Amino acid sequence: MPALRNKNCNYISNKVISITFDGKSYSAYDGDTIASALLRNNIRLIGRSFKYHRPRGIYTCGIEEPNALVQILNEHNEPNTRATIKRVYEGININSQNRWPSLSFDIGSINNILSPIFSAGFYYKTFMGPKGFWKKIYEPLIRHTAGLGKPPKNFRSKSIHQNHNVDILIVGGGLSGLIAARKLINTDNEVLIVEQDSFLGGILKNSNKVKKIDGKSVFDWVKETEKLILESKNIKILKNTLVTTYNFTNHLIALEDKFAGKDIDTNKTELILHKIRTTQTILANGHIERFISFRNNDLPGVMLASSFEKYIERYGVVPDEKPVIFTNNSSAISLVKSLINLNCKPGAYIDSRKKKDIEDETKDYLSKNNIPFYPESEVEGCEGNKKVEKVYIRSSNKEISSINASMLCPSGGFNPDIHLFTQSKGLVKWDDKIISFKPDTAFQNTITLGSVSGNYEFKNLCNEINKKLSFLKVNDLNLDIETNIRDDFSISELWETKTNKMSKWAKSFIDLHNDVTTKDLKQAINEGYDRIEHLKRYTTNSMGTDQGKISSINSLGIVSKILNKKIAEVGTTTYRPPYAPLSFAAIAGRSTYEYYDPERKTPIHNWHIKNNAVFEDVGQWKRPWFFKKNESETMHQAVQRESKQTRQTAGIIDGSTLGKIEIKGKDALEFMNLMYTNAFTKMKPMTSRYALMLGEDGMIMDDGIVCKINDKHFIATTTSSGAPKVLSHMEEFLQTEWPHLKVFLNSITEQFTTFNISGPKAREIIRKVFTDIDFSNEKFPFMTFKTFDYKNTQARIMRASFTGELGYEIYISPKHALELWEQIFNYGKEFNLVPYGTETMHLLRAEKGYVVIGQETDGTVTPLDLNFNWMIGKKKKDFIGKRSLTRSDTAREDRKQLVGLVPIDKSFFIEEGQHIVECENLPNKIKTPIEYLGHISSSYHSPNLNHCISMALIKNGNKLKGKKLFVSTSRGTKNIPVKVVSPVFIDPENKRLVS
Amino acid sequence: MILIDCPYCGEREQSEFTNGGEAHVIRPKNPEALSDKEWGQYVFYRSNPKGIFYERWNHTHGCRKWFNAVRDTSTDTILKIYKLTDNRPDISEFQSSLKSPSGEPAVGSGNFAVKK
Repeated sequence: MPALRNKNCNYISNKVISITFDGKSYSAYDGDTIASALLRNNIRLIGRSFKYHRPRGIYTCGIEEPNALVQILNEHNEPNTRATIKRVYEGININSQNRWPSLSFDIGSINNILSPIFSAGFYYKTFMGPKGFWKKIYEPLIRHTAGLGKPPKNFRSKSIHQNHNVDILIVGGGLSGLIAARKLINTDNEVLIVEQDSFLGGILKNSNKVKKIDGKSVFDWVKETEKLILESKNIKILKNTLVTTYNFTNHLIALEDKFAGKDIDTNKTELILHKIRTTQTILANGHIERFISFRNNDLPGVMLASSFEKYIERYGVVPDEKPVIFTNNSSAISLVKSLINLNCKPGAYIDSRKKKDIEDETKDYLSKNNIPFYPESEVEGCEGNKKVEKVYIRSSNKEISSINASMLCPSGGFNPDIHLFTQSKGLVKWDDKIISFKPDTAFQNTITLGSVSGNYEFKNLCNEINKKLSFLKVNDLNLDIETNIRDDFSISELWETKTNKMSKWAKSFIDLHNDVTTKDLKQAINEGYDRIEHLKRYTTNSMGTDQGKISSINSLGIVSKILNKKIAEVGTTTYRPPYAPLSFAAIAGRSTYEYYDPERKTPIHNWHIKNNAVFEDVGQWKRPWFFKKNESETMHQAVQRESKQTRQTAGIIDGSTLGKIEIKGKDALEFMNLMYTNAFTKMKPMTSRYALMLGEDGMIMDDGIVCKINDKHFIATTTSSGAPKVLSHMEEFLQTEWPHLKVFLNSITEQFTTFNISGPKAREIIRKVFTDIDFSNEKFPFMTFKTFDYKNTQARIMRASFTGELGYEIYISPKHALELWEQIFNYGKEFNLVPYGTETMHLLRAEKGYVVIGQETDGTVTPLDLNFNWMIGKKKKDFIGKRSLTRSDTAREDRKQLVGLVPIDKSFFIEEGQHIVECENLPNKIKTPIEYLGHISSSYHSPNLNHCISMALIKNGNKLKGKKLFVSTSRGTKNIPVKVVSPVFIDPENKRLVS
Repeated sequence: MILIDCPYCGEREQSEFTNGGEAHVIRPKNPEALSDKEWGQYVFYRSNPKGIFYERWNHTHGCRKWFNAVRDTSTDTILKIYKLTDNRPDISEFQSSLKSPSGEPAVGSGNFAVKK
């Protein structure tokens, strides 16, 4: 039989829809949450707990839910969804989580019986050894058993971000928020109201506490207010939107669910992350009820009293007709009245307060309605098979009696929801009257209104709001708020009741989400974790997805009792954003997959694809790594083929990704002399030079070729990924240190497409392409360049090489790049011209002993370490990094220096990154550290020499030439014997280069 | 995310900017004349105070101009923004600025959310 329906509820439609839970079909109403739909069908067991796999039900009716987390089996396969806020739609398919093989019979619940070993600090104590067990046994085991839902696969988000700039943000569309909004209607302030529910009204819709406002029913008053707001010129409302983060400078983040209560349409935006900047923030986000710890306070059927009332008033479902109510404060009588209105009667009303403190109205009302009343009593615990069946009551005379009941509603008082306020760095203060923390000093332009400010009394509300908003110079608003219960709030402190019955099963929980018991808190304190921040991490208390919303103050209460301190002295843990879990999809917005980072492609990109290039990412660039001649060719084979062919005839590489910076201006020469190590003054116009750029610490930052057109005009190339950094570096010094220099910088990376053709046949090929240019060695020597007109665009050819062969670098307009590239191939066919990628480029330059920035250098290498003394303009007075080269540490002779290494047995291969040592074998067990001389920075199998060649940085390497050393391997303890040689393996006399 | 008022473009989000560390560290005119220690002081040493800090910013994803700012590092409040050509504002201008919310000690951090 379905649960009783409250027909007076205005928020649920009569439209019946069908939902599926754990494979079974049920009916629900449009507008239900998963929780209200399940309660409507009398389903109380929803999931299994995190650690002990105890049966759990629905505990609350909102964002604070610690238990009822479910998996939605839709396209996104949404795990850990709060059943209490996720709205149902026709055909929604829901699964319970963390149970196997089924919800009612779960093997993991053995953990509950083994619970003594799962107590506080379990993870820290248990998995300490033996060695290797963590990786092979513990971790896979924990990963299998722990955790909740299953993550989605192939998830593609349709979320977007939206920015708002408003004068006033009102967080919460409840009573206080609406009063504030009414005051602001048609003022000059631009206002945004954010409400997490799909209806405005807050406590007016969630409870029976307020009867009438200005003589109107609360429903009509909210409707009227909403109409006034929507008709106003200055106020906007966002519903189904939760503010999760309050940052510095009044910057708040809110998440809107565009598909609340609807099946996801994958073509439409699902979530919107609102980034709100405001001048004034009004927090009217209310309060959260807390529980009381007692034996088995986690059994399905235990539900917070105000949540129970919310199900009746907001969702029109009465979860149980005879619940037992257990309270330490004056508010729970409102639930009794809600039930009596529907002809239901609570099974018992247990109030822990002293008889004299209990309001006469409450006593009278209970006796008039014949409700069993237990003043000065408490719930000792409850029992039952996967649900509440019996409730044990400790009466004022300490006798324990039991009554039958199927639901139990504790109310432990209310916490102002200070989460956002403390995120904004506001200070909170303990209030003995409400027994909770409440906002004190705001740090930003923040105002708290209503229950979040600790004001639980309706009659003071308008006064409070008028006073706090008086600085806005808006009219006062005084409403006549008529309540159903006595307005003054009274509470007595009660965090935990004493347990009489001890068994392995019986537990009194403090954190339901993370399965932390009150016993764990005590044990942790006994073990010395008496600081609240330590205690939290040691026990994992309030660290679950609910962040201890209903329990964190309770744990402070219990801890303060043990430590015999005041709660204010114990302090609270830090509240950090987000307020409630945010989906990563929402944070990512549109920055996913191909939109995550731009891909930069050269004008030749499509040709590369057609010619079976395998690409490599270099910064944001896609560069051909190697070209596959046929399907079966491996990378090694391709690179060996490309390298060999280039040295035999010719090869060409697409170098468009090289950074290019144009330096122009009256003082360009002086500027270049300061930025680079090289001396440019005596350099002839129309020549080029390999140049080094250092950081102020003397370490190599970047390299490239600098072309000097004249003293006022230079073009510098940079490494492919270093271009933005080099440009920024130049700009920084130009603006901050030498603003008197008249120099202009311009990035021309994408204005010129670059090819580098090299090999003994390069000249013969290029002669055929550019018939007007004299390429003879005399007229076009090494390290010179020519500019010319190519089809009415500027073009430049430079004689330079990164392979050690005769080479020409062509700079051409991207417009003509592809046709020229194809033309070169036409002419190159007879010479077997081969296109090569970055891997071959690296191999060829290593054969010649050229370094790669970022491979041979790592930010700790000076030019001297690479024997680049010849590149340093020693006669220059100053350049960036110059002074650092003579610092005692950089001038030291025994620094790591660049050398070449070849294996003595030519059949061996040396791996990159391996260490160089002096011993032939590594001992089986290392007792004292082995001295490490350096590391391999580059290593290749040279097809032209037919053995392995390596470059390495070795301590005092310059003095070790000819010496035998050893290189470690990734397998075994036997090292490879190598000989230290010069790093130039091919053509040390530069015969090929200048031919 | 804080807003930064670029003196050339106006108020923009922090993500458009790059922080350039301490301001008013002047590159020595004649590095060769300095001892290793003096030069090392310029290259490696920067102050990192809790409180008022003079620092450099670059509007990297905007006008690419460098400028200076005075920021209270304990509250992340930018107190003043000025061009490189402007004079360094005197620290006395800022003494009356916002204190950190909890009146935290000058060194170290911790949880001071509760008002004592």
